[in-house]
Amino acid sequence: MEFDFSPIFENWRYLRDGLLITISLSVLSIIAASILGGAIGLARVYGPRWLAGVLAFYVDSARSIPALVVLIWMYFAFPLMVGISLPPFWAAFIALSAYIAAYISEIVRGGVLSIRSGQTRAAKALGMSQNQTILKIILPQAVVRILPQYGNMLSITVKNSAICSVIAVPDYLQNSGIVAAQTYRPLEIYTVALIVYIAMILPLTRSTDWLYSRLSHLGRS
Amino acid sequence: MSRMDHQRNAIGKPPIVTYNNVEKCYGDFTALNGVTAEVNRGEVVCLIGPSGSGKSTLLRCTNALEQINGGEIIFDGAPLPKGENNVRLVRRRMGMVFQSFELFPHMTAIENINCAPVTVLGMPKREAEELSYSLLKKVGLVEKAHSYPSMLSGGQQQRIAIARALAMGPEVMLFDEPTSALDPETVGEVLSVMSDLAGEGMTMIVVTHEMSFARRVSDWIMVFDKGRVIEEGRPDNIFKHPTEGRTKEFLRHVGVEV
Repeated sequence: MEFDFSPIFENWRYLRDGLLITISLSVLSIIAASILGGAIGLARVYGPRWLAGVLAFYVDSARSIPALVVLIWMYFAFPLMVGISLPPFWAAFIALSAYIAAYISEIVRGGVLSIRSGQTRAAKALGMSQNQTILKIILPQAVVRILPQYGNMLSITVKNSAICSVIAVPDYLQNSGIVAAQTYRPLEIYTVALIVYIAMILPLTRSTDWLYSRLSHLGRS
Repeated sequence: MSRMDHQRNAIGKPPIVTYNNVEKCYGDFTALNGVTAEVNRGEVVCLIGPSGSGKSTLLRCTNALEQINGGEIIFDGAPLPKGENNVRLVRRRMGMVFQSFELFPHMTAIENINCAPVTVLGMPKREAEELSYSLLKKVGLVEKAHSYPSMLSGGQQQRIAIARALAMGPEVMLFDEPTSALDPETVGEVLSVMSDLAGEGMTMIVVTHEMSFARRVSDWIMVFDKGRVIEEGRPDNIFKHPTEGRTKEFLRHVGVEV
């Protein structure tokens, strides 16, 4: 069997553009999912009971539906409901964010609940308000504690971004597929795709683990 | 009671905390079953008694970390207010030290101390830092200013925790078994900081199992059993001539010759 990697070099600009779409979709989704997931996690711990109930329903639903189904619903069904069609990239962004946010909210909730109640008592005894206690005392410790799981979510987000190719978002996988189809070199092109995903994700998980090993003492109350 | 009240009035200081028939329940368990007692300004009052007798619960009710179910607690002439915002104004005026230190692990020693003055009182950072250094000096830990709690021994952590509480300029200090979680060799350094504080006239309510500290430093002892104050008096009276059978039993149990 002969290998021919030249299609990759010949189409590197096209593949690079796909890579940039993958990266921007992942980065935007992880930012949105972190904000949304953080808010949901905190609201479930500290919010009123009715809100916690509604959010629990959302989280349980989002975790029960495959990411691919969320994406397809968002692209093909949601526009019929609201009467505006979404560009594929933004449909993917919303679907991925909503999906990942559910998991992040659970991580945040677990992290916050793992801080022992004595810390809250100590903050209250000093006269701090609930908001000051959450922001200055609980969250900084929780953020450190959830780092390893958060690193997991980073890698899951990047990996899951690949499903956007089913609605023809020109991401790295989609563009690889097009190059493979045109050049009849799927073996080389998809093997390189494997390596590219590893190269993107490995530094993410390694660096969050490294960060955690440096910071873990800050979360040890 | 009248004999002991008479002796105590001789101290002649106004009450800062008054407990009137205070009750506290956790479900079916009655933690405080009608506590009536007084703490006067400048006094060191030690609460002693068996585990689960309500001492720590009373302390937590004093700064409203726990809500009472009956009776009232009067602080500086006014009943403890209702509502979180009003309660916070009272809590600032009381310092609390916990059995498990509860230093904030993500802050250095000095950040632990100046966090509340800056956050709660809005004290300028520089002023708060000067205050923190003077308090670090007081507890003998200036050289640990920039250490994180995880790098400090138990005794050092507890001394920082005392400094943290003092930073708010409290009118009364609540100590909840401050030495119970310490290695024996570090108990002394914490007790010595507390003795110094008592010597400066700080009002202190101390839940403790350190009988020699209670005897040496306190002005007044309250003996708890099953959610009630069963006996109170000057340390000499309590330790030498306890009147209640259960007080004698408790003292014997913790190794005090009655």
